Amino acid sequence: MNGIITVGMADFKTATAPVLLSTAGLGSCIGICIHDPFLKIGGMAHIMLPTANGSLGGNPAKYADTALELLLREISGMGAIKSRLRAKMAGGAQMFSFPGKPPVLKIGDRNAEAVEQELKKHRIPLLIADVGGSFGRTIHFDVGTGELRIRTINHGEKVV
Amino acid sequence: MEITQFQLDALREIGNIGSGHAATALSTLLQRRIDMSVPKVWAVPFEEVSSIVGQLDTPQAVIYVKVEGEASGKAVFFFPLKSAEIVVQALFGTNAPMDLYMGEMEQSALKEVGNILVSSFLVALTQFSGIPLQPSVPALAVDMIGASLDAIFLEEGVLDDTVLFIDTRITGIPKIEGQFIFLPDDGSLKKLLEAMGV
Repeated sequence: MNGIITVGMADFKTATAPVLLSTAGLGSCIGICIHDPFLKIGGMAHIMLPTANGSLGGNPAKYADTALELLLREISGMGAIKSRLRAKMAGGAQMFSFPGKPPVLKIGDRNAEAVEQELKKHRIPLLIADVGGSFGRTIHFDVGTGELRIRTINHGEKVV
Repeated sequence: MEITQFQLDALREIGNIGSGHAATALSTLLQRRIDMSVPKVWAVPFEEVSSIVGQLDTPQAVIYVKVEGEASGKAVFFFPLKSAEIVVQALFGTNAPMDLYMGEMEQSALKEVGNILVSSFLVALTQFSGIPLQPSVPALAVDMIGASLDAIFLEEGVLDDTVLFIDTRITGIPKIEGQFIFLPDDGSLKKLLEAMGV
């Protein structure tokens, strides 16, 4: 039986197989999963906002740019090689809409864009982006196989 | 910001008065006697909210209202699904199962109930502080509680690091529970407490 390691909001974790990394109730936040299939190690970050904007205060695991750097540093320390890494992400929904008022800034979309850009900057291929919609997601990432299980309340469950 | 027990007691009193207004409105709407009280108000740091609401992927009905005015913020009422269903059934005078996820009637009923609860609290806050506060049209999500809350936290505006939890008890309909949180924007709570003189 695999152990499950829970990743909280604005938090990140890395692990070696056999382990599932999990984060529950992603709304406009995004779960980023990084996998080295050769060493069977992986990491997950639960980011809340696109960019730290150079601000030094606050928790770096909260932002797409700084969280990815933390994740990459830690997973490299475990022996992962950057050119082998693969990424998947889920989340970035828009949970609420107010009638007659177009959302000024869709934070979920901006988060997804930011993660995509950061991954591109680090030349890590993004295999799966299950983002958008107006529903929450709970994810489990198998660091051995790289499989990502995405569960929703009313929009099914899938493994990608 | 730091908040004293005395200030919390004052807010609880306002919560009780607000819930009195809400109970009257709900009694009229549901055609039966409803009582409401606020047994407890407490302030928690923003980061701890998600640990207080329990399992983040449990589905709940979340009604979200933006508060506009000089002391702006966000007001959120959340019902466990069973409670939400009972309220909607009472409103429609039926025992049939309700489709909270997709049903338009069910959803607009929930929004209306949330609207009454939130507005009543705001009216009480305005009475005591003299600061006019207007609620927006309510928005509803019936989904994982964590997902709804993170979306509310992250939406426009800079929140204060303190969140007020207003525990609400509704009696008159069996087995109803719900919780109410007020997330003041940065500076709003200070303004309100000062205006109230506590």
